[in-house]
Amino acid sequence: MQVVWSKQNNNNRLNHGVTMQSKDLTEYFSENLFVANLKAKTKAKSLEELSDLFVANKVIRTKGIVLEMLNQRETLGSTGIGKGVAIPHGRTTAALDVTIAFGKSKNGIDFDSVDKELVKLIFVVLAPPQDDNNRYLPVLGKLVEVVHDKANREKLLQAKTFEELMQVFEEVG
Amino acid sequence: MLNKQLDLLVALQDLDIMIKDIDDVKQIGFDVEGREKLDEARNELTEKLSKPLAFNYEKLKKRYKRAIVPVKDDFCLGCFMRVPTQLITRGREDTAVINCEGCGRILYWYE
Repeated sequence: MQVVWSKQNNNNRLNHGVTMQSKDLTEYFSENLFVANLKAKTKAKSLEELSDLFVANKVIRTKGIVLEMLNQRETLGSTGIGKGVAIPHGRTTAALDVTIAFGKSKNGIDFDSVDKELVKLIFVVLAPPQDDNNRYLPVLGKLVEVVHDKANREKLLQAKTFEELMQVFEEVG
Repeated sequence: MLNKQLDLLVALQDLDIMIKDIDDVKQIGFDVEGREKLDEARNELTEKLSKPLAFNYEKLKKRYKRAIVPVKDDFCLGCFMRVPTQLITRGREDTAVINCEGCGRILYWYE
């Protein structure tokens, strides 16, 4: 995996003094933003499917703005970080709070990942521009750290319900 | 495809934030290359905006950290002034770009 894990862990500037544990990530997930089996077969469709969830659950008002932001982010380089994981992310004026939507794909989706492996775990992380508590980057960093661990990825792949998903993060600590 | 002028303004601000965040996201370890693509996208978005709106956005951006701010519970979250009722109605209808009467920032309604 291309992600440089050690830098994230020790970078106070990125953590903004926020000490975050894996279990703290649970507060950014929501049962309504969890899809155990994504219908989408492509990267674009998966971003759309998860963005639809944000709209349906009133996290955002319109899908277009968020999709535009996520697609622009992908032009910088794929958020498919390897080992079957993608973490599309970004700050958007359309979001009021840091929120994560999570979807799993049974067959995997071509996300143009760094290792070319099909993606089965997709976390979409949205954050507002203001984010006064500086949680966005620590959340993103911690998520990357959790999915770096093979055992965690396997547990995430096995999680069929939202409760099981939360249990994975609780158990990591 | 974004058509409304307000949506274009929001997309422009999101792009500016993304450009600003590039180094931080890169340090977390994400693959981030081709900053020039974002500059190109920014130019394309700006061309779609009416000139007065683009000028207003750039002027506000110089003055404040964010040119576009949310409205929550009828308050501008830039200056915390209550937004007049007639503007709330127009803002929710999404038919016009509305500036806060207190601070001048562009207002964005979440609901």
